[in-house]
Amino acid sequence: MSERSSPLLVAGAVIIGTLGLIAVFADVLAPFDPQDPRAGLPLEQPSASHLLGTNDSGQDIFSQLIAGTRPSMLIAVEAAAVVVLIGGLVGMLAGLVGGWLDTVLMRVADIFMALPGLPLILLVAALLGPGPYTVVIVLGLFGWPRLARILRSQALSLRSRGFLVAAGGFGASPIYILRRHLVPALGPLLVTGFVGVAGIAILIQAGLAFLGLSDPTQVSWGSVLNRALVYPGLYFSPLWTWWVLPAGFAITIAVLGFTFLGVGLEPRFNPRTRVSR
Amino acid sequence: MTATLTGDVLEDQQARPRTGRRWLRPLGSYTLTVFVLLNLNFFLPRTLPGNPIEILAAQASPGQGGEEARAALEAYYGLDLPLLQQYVNYLTGLLRGDLGQSVTENRPVRDLIFERLPWTLLLIGTAIGLASLVGVVAGIHSGWRRGKNMDRGLLTLFLSLRTIPEFFLGSMVLFVFAVKLDWFPLAGSRTPFLSDAGLFEQIVDILHHLALPALVLAIGLTAGQYLFMRAGMVSELGAGYLLLGRAKGLTERRLKYRYAARNAMLPVVTVIALELGMAVTGSIFIERVFAYPGLGQLLNGAANLRDYPLLQGSFLVFALFVVTANFLADLLYARLDPRTAPA
Repeated sequence: MSERSSPLLVAGAVIIGTLGLIAVFADVLAPFDPQDPRAGLPLEQPSASHLLGTNDSGQDIFSQLIAGTRPSMLIAVEAAAVVVLIGGLVGMLAGLVGGWLDTVLMRVADIFMALPGLPLILLVAALLGPGPYTVVIVLGLFGWPRLARILRSQALSLRSRGFLVAAGGFGASPIYILRRHLVPALGPLLVTGFVGVAGIAILIQAGLAFLGLSDPTQVSWGSVLNRALVYPGLYFSPLWTWWVLPAGFAITIAVLGFTFLGVGLEPRFNPRTRVSR
Repeated sequence: MTATLTGDVLEDQQARPRTGRRWLRPLGSYTLTVFVLLNLNFFLPRTLPGNPIEILAAQASPGQGGEEARAALEAYYGLDLPLLQQYVNYLTGLLRGDLGQSVTENRPVRDLIFERLPWTLLLIGTAIGLASLVGVVAGIHSGWRRGKNMDRGLLTLFLSLRTIPEFFLGSMVLFVFAVKLDWFPLAGSRTPFLSDAGLFEQIVDILHHLALPALVLAIGLTAGQYLFMRAGMVSELGAGYLLLGRAKGLTERRLKYRYAARNAMLPVVTVIALELGMAVTGSIFIERVFAYPGLGQLLNGAANLRDYPLLQGSFLVFALFVVTANFLADLLYARLDPRTAPA
C-alpha cells in the first residue's frame, strides 16, 4: 500500500477545502446581500458589479451562489455526521455484541434499505414541511443501514481474530480495546462513509430544493435553480447561461469533490487491503 | 441502495436453503417490507409534526380561526374516528383499490394515478432499454480492451456523467436540443388537439416528446449497466475457453461477442430489475424538468400543494413498484447465478 497521495484525493481535498472556505467566509465574499431585491434591477445582464446578473426580483445571483455554499456544505456535513453516528453505533453494536441484538438490528437495516429512498424522502419532506433540519433528519433516518452493514462485517472479522481476545485476556479494559484496536480499524470506514453520505446529501438537498420542497427563505444552490426554472421566459433568453448554468455547476462540482475524495481515500482505507484473512 | 440486499441476505444464512425453497426468504422479506410500507403510509402523516388538517383548514378559510372547517375536514377524512377504526378503514380501502379523494383535483386518487401511470412506464421502459443497450455494448468493448485508451475514456465518461444531477443535465439537454436547435418539443408528452391526426402521426408525436426525457434518464442509468458488463468481461478475460478458442483460430470478433460477452451477460437481467428503482427516482426529477405528465409529476404536484391523499396514494404506488422490482431482482438473481444455487 503506497502512502503517496493520489491525484484524485488531492483534487477532491482542494475542491472541498475551497468550498468550505467559501462557506465560512460567505458574508465577506458576497458583494451583495443575497436576499436584497434592491441589489440591482430585475434581470440585469452580467456586468462588473453583478458578475452573474440579477434574478427576476433584482437579487444578485453571484452573491446567492456564494451564500448558497453555506447551507449546502453545512447540511451535507450534518447529515453525514448523523449517518456516521447512527450507522457506526448500530454496526459496532451488531458486530461486537452479536447474538439476538445483531439479528434484530440487521433485520431493521434490511427493511430500511429495501424502502424506496427518494419517494419516501419526498413524502417525509412534504409532511415535515420546509425546515432547516428536514433534509438532515430524512437523510440520517434513511442513510445509516449501508454504513451499519459495512461496519458490522468489519467488526465481525475483528472479533474473530486473536488479538482482541488476547488483549482482553491480558486484562485490557473495554475502553482501552476501543481506543487502541477498534477505532484504528473501524475509523477509516467511518471517514469514507462520511464523505460518501456528504456527496449524496448535496445531491438530495439540491434535488429537494429544485422540487420546491426546501425552506423558501433560505438561499441555496437548489433554490436558485428552482426559482430560475419556474421563470416562464427562461429558455427563450440568454438568462439561462448565467442563472441556471453556474448553479448547476456549483452542485456538480461539490458532488464531484466528495466523489474524488471518497475514491481517493478508498485505497488507503480499503479493509480488504488491510485485513489479513 | 438496495443492490446489496441480496448478497447480504444470502451471506447471512447459516444453512443454505434446499432446492425450491430459495424464493422463500426473498418472499419473506418482501412481505415484511410491503407491510412496513403500508404502515409507514398510514402512521407517518399521523405522527409527524406539521398537521395536514391545519394547513387544509387554513386554506379553506383564510384569516378565520377555521375551527369549523377543521372539524368538517377531520370528519370528511375520517380522522375523528378511533385510530384502530381508521387503520381498519385504511386497509380495507386499499384492498378495494380505494386510495381516497384528491383534495386539489376533487377526483379519486386511483383514477389520477391510472391516467399518469402509462406515461411513466413508457418513459422508464424506454430509458432502461436504451441504457441497457448502450451500457452492454460499451461494457463489452471497454472490458475486452481493459486499460486501453478507449476503456479509460469510457470509464471516465460514464462515471463523470453520473455525478451531474439529473435535473441539471435535463435542463442543459432541454436548452440545447429543444431551444437552441429546436429539434424536439419543450414540454409535455404529446401535442394537444392532435387526436384528429392519423395513428401513425400520433405515435411519431409521442416518440418525439419522449426522446429527450428518456435520453436524460437513460444517461444516468447507463453507468450501472456499463460497470457491471465491463466487470463481467474483465473477469472472463483470462478464461481457459478463450485461450482454447484462440488456439482453434476463432476470430477475435467471435470470441468477444459469442463467447466472453455471452458469459458476462448473466447479471444484466438483474441489473435491469434493480435499475427500475433508480429509474423511478430519476423520473421524479426528469418529469419535472420536461413537464412530462407522469406519476412523478403527480407526486411533485401533490407534495407542493400539500394534497395529502394524492401524495400518499402516489407514494404508495411508487414504493410498491420499487420494492416489487427489487423482489423480482432477488428471485432472478437466485435463478440466474449458478453460484447462489445450493451446493
